[in-house]
Amino acid sequence: MAKVKEQNLITRERLRWVYYFLPILALVIPFIVNEYILWIVNAILVYTLVTLGFNIIIGNLGQLAFANTAFFGIGAYTAAILMVYGNMPYILAIFMSAIVGGIAGFLASVAALRGIRLYYLAIITLAFGELMRWVYLHGDTVTKGSDGLKIPEEIYFLGLSLDSEVPKFFVFLLLTVLVVKVTSNLMRSKIGRAIVSIRENEATTASLGIHTAKYIILAFVWSGAIVGIAGAMFAVLTERVLPEAFGLTEVIIHFGMVLIGGTGSIVGSVIGAITLTTLPEYFRQFPGMDELFFGIIIVLILLFLPKGLVSLLWRISPAFKERYYRD
Amino acid sequence: MDPLLKLQNVSVNFSGLKALNNVTFNAFSGEVRAVIGPNGAGKTTLFNAISGYVPSTSGSISFNGEPINGLAPHDISIKGVRRTFQTGGLFPEMTALENILAGLHVEIKAGFLDIILGLPEAREAERKAIVRAKKLLNLMDLASVAEQPVKDLSGGQQRMVEIVRTLATEPPLLLLDEPVVGLSPPMRDRMMEIIRRLAGEEGIGILLIEHVIDLVMSGSDKIIVLSSGELIAEGTPAEVRQDREVLEAYLGHA
Amino acid sequence: MGGGRKVVCQAFTTGYIMEIFLQLTLSGLSQGAIFALIALSLTVVYRATTIVNFGHGDFVMAGAFFVYVLVIYAGLPYLLSSVLAILIMFVMGLGVSRGFIDPIKSGPHIGFAMMSISLGYVLRGGARFLWGREVFPMPRIFDMEPIFIGELVITGDVFFVSLIVAILLSVFFFIFYRTKIGIVIQAVYQSERGATLIGVNVRAFHQSMWGVGLAMGAMAGILIAPISLLHPDLGATFLIRGFAAMTLGGFGSLSGAVVGGLLLGFAEQIFGFYISSTLQDITAYLIILAVLIIRPAGLFGRTITVRV
Repeated sequence: MAKVKEQNLITRERLRWVYYFLPILALVIPFIVNEYILWIVNAILVYTLVTLGFNIIIGNLGQLAFANTAFFGIGAYTAAILMVYGNMPYILAIFMSAIVGGIAGFLASVAALRGIRLYYLAIITLAFGELMRWVYLHGDTVTKGSDGLKIPEEIYFLGLSLDSEVPKFFVFLLLTVLVVKVTSNLMRSKIGRAIVSIRENEATTASLGIHTAKYIILAFVWSGAIVGIAGAMFAVLTERVLPEAFGLTEVIIHFGMVLIGGTGSIVGSVIGAITLTTLPEYFRQFPGMDELFFGIIIVLILLFLPKGLVSLLWRISPAFKERYYRD
Repeated sequence: MDPLLKLQNVSVNFSGLKALNNVTFNAFSGEVRAVIGPNGAGKTTLFNAISGYVPSTSGSISFNGEPINGLAPHDISIKGVRRTFQTGGLFPEMTALENILAGLHVEIKAGFLDIILGLPEAREAERKAIVRAKKLLNLMDLASVAEQPVKDLSGGQQRMVEIVRTLATEPPLLLLDEPVVGLSPPMRDRMMEIIRRLAGEEGIGILLIEHVIDLVMSGSDKIIVLSSGELIAEGTPAEVRQDREVLEAYLGHA
Repeated sequence: MGGGRKVVCQAFTTGYIMEIFLQLTLSGLSQGAIFALIALSLTVVYRATTIVNFGHGDFVMAGAFFVYVLVIYAGLPYLLSSVLAILIMFVMGLGVSRGFIDPIKSGPHIGFAMMSISLGYVLRGGARFLWGREVFPMPRIFDMEPIFIGELVITGDVFFVSLIVAILLSVFFFIFYRTKIGIVIQAVYQSERGATLIGVNVRAFHQSMWGVGLAMGAMAGILIAPISLLHPDLGATFLIRGFAAMTLGGFGSLSGAVVGGLLLGFAEQIFGFYISSTLQDITAYLIILAVLIIRPAGLFGRTITVRV
C-alpha cells in the first residue's frame, strides 16, 4: 500500500517543477561552500554538458563515435585562441566554440554517414581525436604546444568579471541550464524520436518518411556544438588549455560518465558527470587508485546496473523515465 | 480507373543473380492484391524495389503517375507508399505511443527553431499528434499498452502496433510483408478483416505478401504469382487457382 | 673527368641511402613483428567472439609486468618467467570470458567495449598503485654481439625479437591450418551454428579463445619487457598499434593482422625518418584514417554490405 502511495506522490508534472526549481536552489551554493568545492561544482557543470553531448551520440543515436574529446578540445582551443589573439569577449567566444564544434560534429558525421559502424567508427573517431591532439601539441606558434595556452587575465561575460569561481559559477550555471533545457526540447520532439528510431532500426526509419542522413548529421552537429560550448567553459575553468586534457584517457572518462549515469538519459548525464567529477578527487591521493576505482565501478555498473545509475531512480518511480514526447 | 502503382519491365540484378526479371503489373486503390510464390521467388525484393530499398536495374515504377524508381526510401514514403517488414520494423525500446508518433513524423509541422525554443506552434503540433496517436491506439484496443516499450508486448500486439504505425498517415498505397506470420488463427482472421476494411472502406491500395494460401484466396481481389523472379500468373483467386504454371511452380517446390 | 667523379658520387650516395633504408626496414620489421603479434591476438578473440578487446593493450602490459615481477622479485629465470606469465594470462583470459563477458552477453555490443576497457583500467590502476609512477628497466635479456652484414647492424633485440616472433607465428599458423584443432577453430570461426550442430561447445570455445588471445598478448608483452621501459601507460600505445595493424590488414583477417603489423612498423620508421620524427607517433592514426577513407576493408578484409 505504501509503495502505491509513493508512486502517486511523484508525478511527471511535479517532477518538472522540481527540475525548474533546482537551478534556482543552486544559486545559494556559492554562499555556502568554499572556493575549492565551488571549483568542483563548476567542473561538474562543464562535464554535465560534455556528457550530455556525448550521450546524444552514444545513447540516443546509438553510434560508437568517440569524437567527444575532439569536440571538447576544439571548443576549448577555439575560445582560448579567439580571446587571446582576437580579444574577443567571452560570450562571443562561447558562441564561436559552439559553431566550430558544430562543424567538427559535421565532419565526424561523415564517417557514420558512409556506413562506417561499430568498431570501425570507434577507431576512426578515436584517431580523429588523437590527430587533433597532435595538432594542439605541434601548432606551437598558436597553441603554445605542451605549455598550454593561457587565457587572458581579465575576462568579462556581459560586464561581469570572471576573476574567481563565484562569477564563473553563475555564468556556467546559466549556460548549463540553457543548454540542458534546449536539448531536452530537442529530444522530446519529432527530432528526438527520429534520432532514436535510427538507433532502434535504421532501415525501417526511412520507411516512415524520415531522412536518416539528415538526422544523423543533426545529432552529430548538436553534440559537437554542446561539447564545444563545454570546451569554452573548460578553458575558463582551468585557465590554461593543455593538449593532454583531450586524449584517449579523457574520452574514456567521458564514456564512463555516460555509462555510469545512464545512456540516452539527460538526468543520467548529470548523474554521471557528478559521479566521475567528484569521486576521483578522493582517490587522487594514491597513484592508480582513481583508475582502479574507475575500472571497478564501470565493471560493476555493466554487470548489475546496465542502464546506469539513473535506473535506480526509475525503480523509485516510473515518472523519472524520460520520454520522447511532450505531454 | 488509373492505376495507383505501375510497374513496367522491372528487373533487379544482384551481381549476376536476377532477383526480378521483367515484372509488369498494375495495382489499384481500394484493391487487395496478393503477391505469392515459393521461397526465393523475389517477393520481398519486389517490395524493396517499389519502396526504394533496392535499385531496379531496368524498367520503370510509377506511383500516382509519377516515376519513383531511383528515389530514396524516405522520399517514396513521403509520396504515400508505406510498408511493413518481414523481420518486424518496430522500435523495441520506444513505447507504443512513441512508435506511432514516429509514424506520424512527416505530418507534424514543427520547424527546428520552434522545437528547440519550445515555441507554441511546435508544442501545438506535438499535442495534436499525440491526440491522434492515442486515438489510433484506442481504435485497435491498444490504449492500455501505450506507455509500454513495444519489446514487452505480445507478438500479436506488436503486429498491431506496426500496422497502426504504418497506417498513421493514411497512405494511399500499403505494402504488407507477411503481416500474419506468428499470429494465432483468430488473430490472423482479424488482421485480414482489417486489411479488407482498409481497402474497401478507406480506399487504400494494398499489396500483400503472404504464404497462407486460404487467407490469400479468400482475402484478396487479385493475385500475382512470382517464381524465380518472374511474374508467371496474374488474375482473380479463381483464375490463379487453376493456372497450370502456378501449379507446376508450387508442385515443383513441394 | 667531372662525369666520372659524378658517377662515383652517385654510387656512394645511392649506396648510403640504400643502407639507411635497409636499416630502417630492419628495425621497422622487428617492431612490426611485435605489432603483428598484438594484432593477431586481438584478431583471434575478435574472430571467435566478434568482440574487440579495447583493454588488450593493458593486458599486454600486464603480461610484461608479470615477467618483470617474476624475474626481479621472484628471481626466476627469464624463460621460466615467460612461460608462467603466459599461463597466468591464459587463465586470466578464461576468467575474463567467464566472469565478465558471458554475463553481459544479452546487452548491447557497446557494453563489451566498455567492459574490456574497464578491465584494462583495473589492470593499469593496479600496476600504478603497486609501483607508483616509476618506470622500470628490465635487465637486458637479448644480449648479443651485434651482427654486421655489410653496413647493416643487427642488434640483439632486433635479432631475437624477429626470430622469436617468426617462430611463434609459424607455430600459430601451423596449428591453425594443419592440425585438427586448428580446423575445428576455423569451422567455428566460419559458423557457430554449424559448430553447435556437430557438437562443439561454443561457450567453452569462446573462453578458450579469450585465453589464447590473452596468452598471445602476453607473448608480445614478454618480448616488449626486455627492450623497452615498462610503465603502466604502455598499454595505450600498443592498443592503437594493434588497431592500426588490424585496420590496415583488414579487420578479422589473421594474415592481414600480421602483414598490417609489419607494414605499420615499417611505416613508422620510414615516416619518422624521412618526413618528420614527430610524425612517428601518429603514423598509426594516419594509417587508420587513410584506410577507412580509401578502402575500409583494408588489404585482406571483405567489404561489408548492409542488406534490408
